[in-house]
Amino acid sequence: MKKAYLEFVVGLFLAIGIGCLAWLSIKLARKEFFARNGYEVQVAFSNGSGLHRGTSVVIAGVEIGRVAGLGLEDYEAKVRLMIQQGVVLQTDTIASIKTQGLIGEKYIELTPGASDKTIKPGGVIRETQPAMDLEALIGKYIQGNLAKPDDKGQPPR
Amino acid sequence: MLLALVAAGASLRACADEPTAQVRAITDKVLALLADPALKTEARNSERRQLIREELDRRIDWATAARSSLGRHWAKRTRAEQTEFVSLFSRLIEENFIDKFETHHGELDKVEYLGEKIIDEYASVKARISTKDQIDHPVEYRLQKSGKDWRIYDVLLEGVSLVKNYRDQFDEILAKSPYEKLVADLRAKIPQGSP
Repeated sequence: MKKAYLEFVVGLFLAIGIGCLAWLSIKLARKEFFARNGYEVQVAFSNGSGLHRGTSVVIAGVEIGRVAGLGLEDYEAKVRLMIQQGVVLQTDTIASIKTQGLIGEKYIELTPGASDKTIKPGGVIRETQPAMDLEALIGKYIQGNLAKPDDKGQPPR
Repeated sequence: MLLALVAAGASLRACADEPTAQVRAITDKVLALLADPALKTEARNSERRQLIREELDRRIDWATAARSSLGRHWAKRTRAEQTEFVSLFSRLIEENFIDKFETHHGELDKVEYLGEKIIDEYASVKARISTKDQIDHPVEYRLQKSGKDWRIYDVLLEGVSLVKNYRDQFDEILAKSPYEKLVADLRAKIPQGSP
């Protein structure tokens, strides 16, 4: 009787351990077991480096979706975004690829626009800004011809 | 990079249904005005600036660019405020563009057009601007169909969007200050005497 109880407890701990590992794997891999409530939109970037399935999509730093998949189409990165239900995107919303810190993980930032029209489920975010190619910019800077920044005309920060 | 702005811009021989032709036309027209020796004199400087301004007005959709730059704050403004904002925004960008055209057009070697993409009433034209120092700058023009013509509403230089740049800045200012402060700042940035 005592032996059976001991085996039950060991088995229970083992099951809990396996459960924890599975949960951790799912969280780390950013996979979703069950589809969230949301709708899908598409966006094409000329440079989508650093994006992968599960990459965060944020507005004002708040996550409102994830990258659901990406592929190459017409030599551009075609990305599918799963956006939370209730988040309305105007047709002139701009999608840009940002980096957390200088060498951090990439994420997609959406900046809401002013259009009266909204992007329907399955629609396309037209306005994009690709990932900044720092190496190319530094290359030009080293060659010494990147025009001197001139903030004339820029509103004060 | 700023030289890339030289290529922003309208035209006489533009074909109505070709975005690239229209971008090429405004670029050629503005470059021709800048290179015209008759207009290079101090006395005719304001005339030259006015001619460039007219070209830009003809081919740039200032209303769309200004509205999109103000982003989510646009809907909160009255009709009169929106009209005033479009006027201030266009004057600011024009003055900024023309200053840069005048400063950097001598460095330009060539402008190559790499292709266009049209989706419904929107188009993008990719170009490469090369300087005499053999450095290339990628530029992308975004256009919207307006009647028979295509009009530019955004320009991406080295992948950085003009509208996105201003939208971020306006957002930041309006998070801390009232709209009136933004308008006062814009007004202060526009040189006195410009139309």
